[in-house]
Amino acid sequence: MTEEKKDILLPEKFTIENVPFLLNKIKELKKDVNIEIDFENVERFDSSAIAFLNHLKTNYENISFKNITSEFNKILGMFHTNEDIEHDLQIITPRKRFEHIANRFLKLRSNFKKYILLLSDEIYYTILYIFNRKGVYPGEISNQMYDIGFKSSPILCLISFLVGVTISITTLDQLNNFGADIYIADIVGFGMIRELIPLMTGIILAGKIGASITAEISSMKVLEEVDAIKTMGLVPEQFLMVPRLIAITLAVPLLIAIADVIGILGGVIIAKLFSGIQPSAFFREMLVTVDLKDFFIGLGKTMVFGWTVVITAGYKGFSVEKGAVEIGNATTDSVVLSISLIIVLDCLFALLLY
Amino acid sequence: MEEIIRTEDLCAGYEGSVVLKELNFIINKGEITVILGKSGCGKSTILKTIIGLIPPISGDIYFYKKKMDYLSESSVNNLYRRIGVLFQNNALLNSLNLYDNVSIPIKMHYPELQKEIEKEMVFSTLSQVGLLKSYNKFPSQLSGGMRKRAALARSMILDPDIIFCDEPTTGLDPITAHGLDELMLNLKNIFGITLVVVTHELRSIEKISDKVIVLKDGAVHFSGKYDKLFTLNDSFINKFFLKE
Repeated sequence: MTEEKKDILLPEKFTIENVPFLLNKIKELKKDVNIEIDFENVERFDSSAIAFLNHLKTNYENISFKNITSEFNKILGMFHTNEDIEHDLQIITPRKRFEHIANRFLKLRSNFKKYILLLSDEIYYTILYIFNRKGVYPGEISNQMYDIGFKSSPILCLISFLVGVTISITTLDQLNNFGADIYIADIVGFGMIRELIPLMTGIILAGKIGASITAEISSMKVLEEVDAIKTMGLVPEQFLMVPRLIAITLAVPLLIAIADVIGILGGVIIAKLFSGIQPSAFFREMLVTVDLKDFFIGLGKTMVFGWTVVITAGYKGFSVEKGAVEIGNATTDSVVLSISLIIVLDCLFALLLY
Repeated sequence: MEEIIRTEDLCAGYEGSVVLKELNFIINKGEITVILGKSGCGKSTILKTIIGLIPPISGDIYFYKKKMDYLSESSVNNLYRRIGVLFQNNALLNSLNLYDNVSIPIKMHYPELQKEIEKEMVFSTLSQVGLLKSYNKFPSQLSGGMRKRAALARSMILDPDIIFCDEPTTGLDPITAHGLDELMLNLKNIFGITLVVVTHELRSIEKISDKVIVLKDGAVHFSGKYDKLFTLNDSFINKFFLKE
């Protein structure tokens, strides 16, 4: 029985445009067919042609070459690749899975430790700055106040107003059933000042300020600006973070005052439009339930949320090592972590204060 | 000798400032042309203009004797299939490992090419630049010299006719820089690739250049063989090469 034989004459232009066709042709042939590749016509070739031939040499036993020039052979030898290099096999054993879970737990513990260390550092540096006024770039606090306070106020006003309107509409509908429309003032006043405005402010700060702080610090880290700050004898955690912490401490009371007024205004408008409650009656009723203590509780909560946002943003920013992708991931993580912490803290406040 | 690129009265620059002033030069096939000059004289601007990143203000660029129309998609695509660029800061994509970075041109221009051939091509190119074992590393895990070599591997993966290198050896130690120079010479001698290299490195210029273009204030001050540079007794060139 004679073995089947097939000749493949390579084209004049043996380049990347022809390689897919040639490989498909070889794949179509039966495995027991002896293939002879003829180089007679080849005038031009490129690295894909060499890769193709190397692939044939490694993976097909039934292939031989003819009319191959010495020059071609020499170049073929130069392109030798390391056959040991193969993509790592991803075999997940139960032991590896356990190690993976354990490593994640250890990383979580180490991250928590780093967060607490940064928090304590920032408290120390802020107190230090208050007493000796050193380590922070002059004018940076007012710049940060402008960014954190002034630039956040329009979106905060809009959200507060809309939340006030929404709460009033949905609550009025229920109160109407009991003829207790006037209590809308207590619900809006108490709910907005103590709960909704602080929470909304915290979330807006996380999305707007937290994201920008993380993006800025992580870019500085990647571009070695943080290293440059260190080599100038400054402490980056002080130089970059203290102005932001002081700025948010000064800006939050103003933001809260504005947001409270605008949020309650939304309730007043809805109460007047939907139930005909006069603004004077609304405020009289509201002040029966709400007093200055509630405003300060709301303010205190927002202050804690603001600090959480800045510390979390700084922690995520400083944790970036290299690469543009890490900046994006750190920014997203910063917002998600800040919002999660704000909600956890809010829950703790609710347990402690009621 | 066949010309690949020719410029005619090329003026280019950035908003409000003309950096290149009526440049006329030719880049021949199979040669290494080194462009040199003081910082800010327009060396990188030449590269960016030829590869279509900065539109010329006036004048023409010819690629294989055909006038380039940078507004025509087909003309620009044809150019991009036949050139490779090694950027000053490497421009490797940080989210991809070395294998994926180097395989981008194949995947984008020849999606029909089988994976096994792509793998052979990428591994053989990485082996030529000495980075085979780092194929699954990310750019952030590589040293400066390794990143340069990785960027060179990406620029040469599709056997371009011409590779533009913007300051390839700047910031590298002499041994790594020497290795990169050898690599560029191999590309020319073995594969016949034309190179245009922007550099300040005097040792590199002496070693690799077939032709030198010296720029002064955005204009061609000298164009010719490296050896000829010192027969001119030109004060600017002598100062540049620390001979004065």
